[in-house]
Amino acid sequence: MRKLNRLARPLAVLVAVLIFANTETVHVKADDVPYDTYNYDYREYIHYTPAAYVPESVRYGRDLFYEGASIGDFKTPQDMCKSPTGEVLVADTGNDRVVVLDAKMKKVLRILTTFDNNGKQDKLGKPYGVCVSEKGNVYIADSKNKRVLVFDPDYNLKQIVSEPRSRSLDAGFVFTPYKVAVDYADRIYVIAQNMFEGIMVFETDGQFTGFFGTISVDISLWEKFWRRIATKEERANQKLFIPTEFTGIDVDPEGFIYATNITTDGIQGVRRLNPSGQDVIKKGENGNLGGDLQISGTGSYYGPSQFTDVVYRKNGIYSCLDRKRGRIFTYDHEGNLLYIFGGLGTQVGTFQMPVAIEEFGNSLSVLDATLGTIITFNVTEYGNCINEAVGLRFDGDETQAVQIWQRVLELDENNELANTGIGKAYLSAGEYKKAMKYLELGMNRDYYSIAYKRYRNEVLKQNASWFLSGVLVLIVAAVVYKNRRKERREKINAD
Amino acid sequence: MLTKAFSKEKWKYLLYTLSHPVDGFYWIRHSEKGSLPIAFILVLLFSASFSANRLLAGFVVNDIDPRTVDSLYEFIGVLAFYILLCVSNWSVTCLTGGEGRMKDILTAVGYGTMPITIGLVLSTVVSRFVADEEQAFYSIILGVCVAWGIIMIIIGIMQIHNFSAGKTLVTLILTFAAMLIIVFILLLLSNLIGKVYNFFRSIYTEIIFRT
Repeated sequence: MRKLNRLARPLAVLVAVLIFANTETVHVKADDVPYDTYNYDYREYIHYTPAAYVPESVRYGRDLFYEGASIGDFKTPQDMCKSPTGEVLVADTGNDRVVVLDAKMKKVLRILTTFDNNGKQDKLGKPYGVCVSEKGNVYIADSKNKRVLVFDPDYNLKQIVSEPRSRSLDAGFVFTPYKVAVDYADRIYVIAQNMFEGIMVFETDGQFTGFFGTISVDISLWEKFWRRIATKEERANQKLFIPTEFTGIDVDPEGFIYATNITTDGIQGVRRLNPSGQDVIKKGENGNLGGDLQISGTGSYYGPSQFTDVVYRKNGIYSCLDRKRGRIFTYDHEGNLLYIFGGLGTQVGTFQMPVAIEEFGNSLSVLDATLGTIITFNVTEYGNCINEAVGLRFDGDETQAVQIWQRVLELDENNELANTGIGKAYLSAGEYKKAMKYLELGMNRDYYSIAYKRYRNEVLKQNASWFLSGVLVLIVAAVVYKNRRKERREKINAD
Repeated sequence: MLTKAFSKEKWKYLLYTLSHPVDGFYWIRHSEKGSLPIAFILVLLFSASFSANRLLAGFVVNDIDPRTVDSLYEFIGVLAFYILLCVSNWSVTCLTGGEGRMKDILTAVGYGTMPITIGLVLSTVVSRFVADEEQAFYSIILGVCVAWGIIMIIIGIMQIHNFSAGKTLVTLILTFAAMLIIVFILLLLSNLIGKVYNFFRSIYTEIIFRT
C-alpha cells in the first residue's frame, strides 16, 4: 500500500502538471470583435462562422484637420461615396457641408459649403446624398434647396437639376432629393422624399424622364374581398396600400442600379434594376433577399431587416446595410448569403444609426449618423477567401477556387458554399464519388444529381460483364426450372 | 395461442388477402382466418418503414431534416392514430349495424397497412438509385402503394361489416367525425384531470407550509 502511494503521488503531480500545461498552451482565441459573424444554412438555422470582417478604425470628424484646424464632428451625416480617384466624400448633412477626404480618410482635401453659382455666392443646404460619376463629376442632393447640384472634378458648378416638370408628377409636388446615383451615361437617378412611384431618372441635360423600378403593391385576394364588402368610411380608415420607398442606391460598372427598400415581409430588400427599370436580381435557393431569416426577436429587435444602403463591390458581390439590427449582409451574384456581421451597440465597431456603406479596397466602411463616425472594417482571411472564391466562380473558373474553398473549410467546417464549390470542382475533374460527398454536404441537389448519374454510369460500365453474366445465369436458371417443372407435371399426369 | 396466431396458414392468408381483398377480408370476419398479433406486427413495421423512409431515402428525393426524425415518437403517433381510427370506426359501425367486432376492425386496418409498408420500403431502396429526372419512379411507387393500401382498408371495413360501398363511405365520414369528437373529449378530460390534480396539489402545499 505504501509503495503504491509513493508511486501514486508523483503520478498525480505529473498528471496535474500535464493538465495545467495543456490548458496554458491550448489557447483558444476568440475573435476579438463585438458582434457575431454568422450565416444561415440550408435549413435556415443560424450557423456561426469566424469573423469575416473585423473593426479596424473609427474616424471622428474632430480628429480630422483642414488647414490646421479641426473640422469638428460630423452632424447627422447621411451619405458617403468614393470617387474614381480614391477620394472619399462625406455628406455632412447637419453641418450643411460636404467633406472631401483622401483615400485613407486621414487628410481633409476640401470642405464644400459655398460655391460660385453664375457669379453669385451660393450655399449648400442639408446635403443628403453624394455621388461621383466615372468621369469624376460630383453630384450632390441638396435637399433643403430642392435641387441636385452637379460639379466638375475641380468643384466648379456645372449644372443644377431642379423642379422636375412632368404630367406624371402631382401639381403640388416638392422635389426633395435624398440619395443620388449616376451611371456610365451620366443619367442621374434620384431617390426623393415621398416619391413612392420609384426612382426619379434625369437625362444628362437634367431633363426629368420618368420613374424607374417602381415596386408594385401586392394585394391578396383576401384583402380585395374585404375591401369589396367594406363601406366607404371603413375603407377610408383602412391602411393605404402604398408601395415602399427606396432607401439606398448604387450603380455597378455595367450600368445596373442596385437599390434597397424597406420590406414589411422580409423577402426582398434589394433590387437590381436593368436600364429599363425591371428587377433582374437573382434570388438564392430559398428565394430570400431580405436579410435576417430569424426575425422573432423582442422589442426593437423584432421584425424584418431594414436595408438602408447597398454597395456593389466586385465580381457580383454586394453588401446591404441593415439599420434594424445594424448588420451587414453580403450576397453573391446568385443571391447566396456569404456572411453576416455587425451589430448595434456602444462598443468600438458597432453602430447606433448606420446610414451608408462603401467599399474601399479590402475594407468596408459604414457611416453612422448618430455617432457621426466612419467605422472601417478590415477583411479577415476567412472573408477574403470567400470573396476570392466567389470572384473566381463569377469569372467562370470555379475549378481554380478549390484550394481557396479548402482553406474556407479548414476555418469553417460546415460552410455550404465551400462544400458545393469543392464538389463542383471534383465533378468537373471526374471524381464523382468525392463530388457526391461534398455536394451533399453543400446541400446542392442539382449538382449532386449530375454527379450521381455519372457515378452510376461509371459503376455500371466497370461491372457490365458481371451484370450481363448475372442476367444470363438468371435466364438459364429460369428456363431449366420451367423445364423441370414441366417434366414433373407430365410425370404426375402420366402417373 | 400465439403459435396459432403466427401459424403458417395465417401468414399465407395475409398474402392471399393482399391479392384477393374482397374474399380475404370476408373470411377473416366469418371463419377466423385473420390474426390480431400479425396485424399489430404489421402496424409496427409500417411505423418503422415510415421512419426509415424519412431517414434513409436518397438525398435527391429527401428534404427532411434528419434531426426531426424520432422513430419512437412516430411509432407512438402511428399507434395512437391506428387505435383511434379503429375505436371510432367500431363505435360508429356498432350503431349502424356493422357485423365486424373490434378484433376484426383492428385486423383489417392492420392488414391494410401492408401495401403502404411495402411501398415505403421499396421506394426507399429505389430512391437511393435515382437521379434528379427519375424522381417520378419514387413518387409513382409510393403513390400506387399508398392508394392500394387505402383501397385495402376501405374494402376491409366494407367486408368485415358486410356493408355496401355507399354505406361504407358514409360510415367512414362518420368515423372521422367520431375521431374528432374522441380527440376533443380526451383533451377536455386531460385538462380537467390536470385541474383536479392542481387542486389537490395546492391543498398539499398549503398544508405543508402551515405545519
